[in-house]
Amino acid sequence: MIAPESLVEDYRHGFHDSEDSYAFKSAKGLTREIVERISSMKSEPAWMLAFRLKAYETFRAKPMPDWGDTALLNEIDFDDIRYFVKASEGTERSWDDVPDDIKRTFDRLGIPEAERKFLSGVSAQYESEVVYHSVREDLAKDGVIFCDMDTALREHPEIVQKYLSTVIPIADNKFAALNSAVWSGGSFVYVPPGIEVKTPLQAYFRINTENMGQFERTLIIADKGSKVHYIEGCTAPQFSTASLHSAVVELIAMEGASIRYTTIQNWYRNIFNLVTKRALAYKNATVEWVDGNIGSRLTMKYPAIYLMGEGARGEILSMAFAGEGQHQDAGAKVIHVAPNTTSVVTNKSVTAHGGKTTYRGLVEIHKGATGAKTRVKCDALIMDDKSSSDTKPTMKIDEQLSTVEHEASVSKIGEEQLFYAMSRGLSEADATAMIVNGFFDFFVKELPMEYAVELNRLVKLEMEGAVG
Amino acid sequence: MSFQPVAKLSEIPEGTTHKVVVGRHAVLLCNVGGQIFAIEDVCTHDGGELDQGELEGTRIMCPRHGAFFDVTTGAALTPPAVMPVATYRVRIEGDDVCVDG
Repeated sequence: MIAPESLVEDYRHGFHDSEDSYAFKSAKGLTREIVERISSMKSEPAWMLAFRLKAYETFRAKPMPDWGDTALLNEIDFDDIRYFVKASEGTERSWDDVPDDIKRTFDRLGIPEAERKFLSGVSAQYESEVVYHSVREDLAKDGVIFCDMDTALREHPEIVQKYLSTVIPIADNKFAALNSAVWSGGSFVYVPPGIEVKTPLQAYFRINTENMGQFERTLIIADKGSKVHYIEGCTAPQFSTASLHSAVVELIAMEGASIRYTTIQNWYRNIFNLVTKRALAYKNATVEWVDGNIGSRLTMKYPAIYLMGEGARGEILSMAFAGEGQHQDAGAKVIHVAPNTTSVVTNKSVTAHGGKTTYRGLVEIHKGATGAKTRVKCDALIMDDKSSSDTKPTMKIDEQLSTVEHEASVSKIGEEQLFYAMSRGLSEADATAMIVNGFFDFFVKELPMEYAVELNRLVKLEMEGAVG
Repeated sequence: MSFQPVAKLSEIPEGTTHKVVVGRHAVLLCNVGGQIFAIEDVCTHDGGELDQGELEGTRIMCPRHGAFFDVTTGAALTPPAVMPVATYRVRIEGDDVCVDG
């Protein structure tokens, strides 16, 4: 059996660059002065400073969540975190201008490859700000705006001010308030009416500075009848003390629009990943969250879809893997507000080496949402006696004329399956990886090729020695 | 239904709110630009008390999860709330604020 320590050693993103060349690094802890400093360094308009300061007060006033893994949550030392790190001056336009050490890090993450393949516009977040951003010409030609949030605030302040925080208000929860106070970077996407963005937009996130919180803010607006797929992948290098990642992602799908948001979360295993993701889907709009959670120490993330208009559709596909010391507390929320809205939630999780997964879900069907249909399915696979999994689905149905389906299962890996695969010449590790990859197949097949390959590889690594 | 006096106009300066009980309901009186509006003092999302929130223009925020309501119509403006709060008709008689409860 492979020891957890050697997993740590083998971790392929477990390297980090020298931090000497950083342009600015805030002191540890959060004060009103730091919030003001962030805003003034970014030369933000007065309304944004007011927004941040209000959020700062809200963060201070709000208690920590009293549900979930409170023992782990209370390990977060807010005074031991740097809330802002600026890696270099300004956002670089071309790849050649990106500083070498940052480039080396991205090289190892495969960003340039994605660029060469010209799959889509790449926006890569390194530390708190986006340092590299290429916008494909055809995107711009169609009027599609795809940039980092700081640029959006400078160049399109009217759209940002109109929609920011209208999906996730400042006071939604303590971590949304924290993000609102100190946010930096993240992506902004606006797709004009009727435009279909054919290739996925990609952004890569990465934490480097020890004890740095990363607080990106993403806002995606798909105007009437438009279509867009956004992909966010995360990896982070190895560190000894806990780091905090707390993002806020807001999606707005207007009438007939379609948004798919794909995340592969593979933070290093000392990172607290506390994220608020919520989407509004208006009449006949579609929102899909495709959400993979492999890394981090504790993840708390429940992508939500509010089906606001008649005929709106929501789908949440999520997978979670928890190994030693990890707790993936993930789930999904769907709120049916309007008639004839439909939703599908599929969640699968695997625990091994003493890991823990929790599915925490909510489906609400409000009075008047006649003809609403929802189907929730959650399956858990537990690899050994030390690991555990909880399923906590909540359903609040206030409309009689609706259809609700729910099924859940918990199972161990089938010994017969394993025996059969091994009798065909596979090693135990390969057989286990194959079965687990099959379990996650519903998820992997929704991913673009490079991500599917990476995910299969990661699952294989995690499964080594999982059965014994 | 009948109007009954529940508060004095002088108790509710512009831009502030005042909580009263009408029958079995907690009602929040909101002074928006000199005009009084009355809404039920219960957030439709999670039952939070809106009187603990700030009134900004015509909007009030529930402090529990940040949902905004329009106090003039009761409409839910942002998630996590989606359903409107109940509204009450208001009549001013002299210094008396009367609510149709």
